[in-house]
Amino acid sequence: MQKNHISAAIISILTLAACAVAGASFLEHRKVEPIVRGPGVTEVVKLSAWYAGLAGTPADTDVYVFRGQNPGGSMLVIGGTHPNEPSSFLSAVLLIENASAESGTLYVIPRANASGFTHNDPQEGAPLAYSFTLPDGSKRTFRYGSRATNPVHQWPDTDVYVHAASGQTLSGNETRNLNRGYPGRTDGTLTEKACYGITEMIRAEKIDLSIDLHEASPEYPVINAIVAHERAMPIASQVVLGLEFSDITIGLEPSPKNLRGLTHRELGDATDTLAVLMETANPSQGRLRSRTDEALVLTGKDPYYVKAQKLGRLYVPFDEKGHPIEERVGRHLTAIGEFAFAMSGEYPDRPIELSGVPGYDDLGAKGLGAFLRTAD
Amino acid sequence: MKILYLGIAAAILALTAWNLWTEKDWRKQATAAMVAIPLLLRVLLIK
Ligand SMILES: [Zn+2]
Repeated sequence: MQKNHISAAIISILTLAACAVAGASFLEHRKVEPIVRGPGVTEVVKLSAWYAGLAGTPADTDVYVFRGQNPGGSMLVIGGTHPNEPSSFLSAVLLIENASAESGTLYVIPRANASGFTHNDPQEGAPLAYSFTLPDGSKRTFRYGSRATNPVHQWPDTDVYVHAASGQTLSGNETRNLNRGYPGRTDGTLTEKACYGITEMIRAEKIDLSIDLHEASPEYPVINAIVAHERAMPIASQVVLGLEFSDITIGLEPSPKNLRGLTHRELGDATDTLAVLMETANPSQGRLRSRTDEALVLTGKDPYYVKAQKLGRLYVPFDEKGHPIEERVGRHLTAIGEFAFAMSGEYPDRPIELSGVPGYDDLGAKGLGAFLRTAD
Repeated sequence: MKILYLGIAAAILALTAWNLWTEKDWRKQATAAMVAIPLLLRVLLIK
């Protein structure tokens, strides 16, 4: 055997070993962590029930349905549009594990971009997962995903992403961004098919209000805010006032008419639903962040952002207390409660009454782990 | 389109492996190995 073949053999074996270790870690990321059905969940349906083209694909995802004892209106909460925005996913999880509908029907999608949960973004240094300790001492762990669909499921990206319905052009990596693909289409990418499934569900179920949950970097202008479709403005303004009474300051912005593909524009245009999107402040996805670890995801404390705030570079207050996950989830959940209240006031024949939704103060006092159920 | 891109990745992976086995200098072999890892993970649709 030649000398260079001996070294080639050794290096090949090391390469395969490295692939095995890395591959096992990447594959581990595809396991779906359990979400425990709480007392209010009446059915769990796949999104493919509304659009069969999603069946068997990595974009098919669970829809949790809460049918109230009394008839009423309907509301959809979309979590996990961007799996690198934990308060969005966790707010949906806390609804599933705690909430009930007294009147009307609540639909909750915790992993709207299911494929995005199966990987993370290269070169971001994000933690693989974050955990909560429950009152009984057990742990619940959830993975930190990517903003976009997994390229293993949708590849390649075009150089320029053309939004199908409008012809609007965006950077190519937006091809895998769920919140640029609405209303979606059946002959498009996997991401556009997922969008289509959600749009179809809203149409078929005649959902009155759709709330898409997000987080944003503290240096991003649209933050701690509701973005509302023009038809949803009256309801959203009532929610802003309602939140003021709970000492939660939130901005209200109209959905831009010329920014296409987003829930607050397309769901409102393509269906009869009142479409809104909400943002909280997540330093772990920001560009100015310091060390990116599980603590940053959960506590939202970051010295670099404190400094940036002092320099006037941020759009949210940012001090040493940071923006803990309890505050971010508390904002989303309190606002969801306010939306249900405002809808019931505006449309008394179609009330949406929710119970068991963890409150902002409760979350702050007890911690988020206190509102998770023990997974078997 | 995806099949085409997978074909390109597989072809580059084959060329990289060929380079690894014909290269005399072990340092250049190691460089080829580092190029091969992401290609192999993509061809296997793991990452
Ligand atoms: Zn987002």
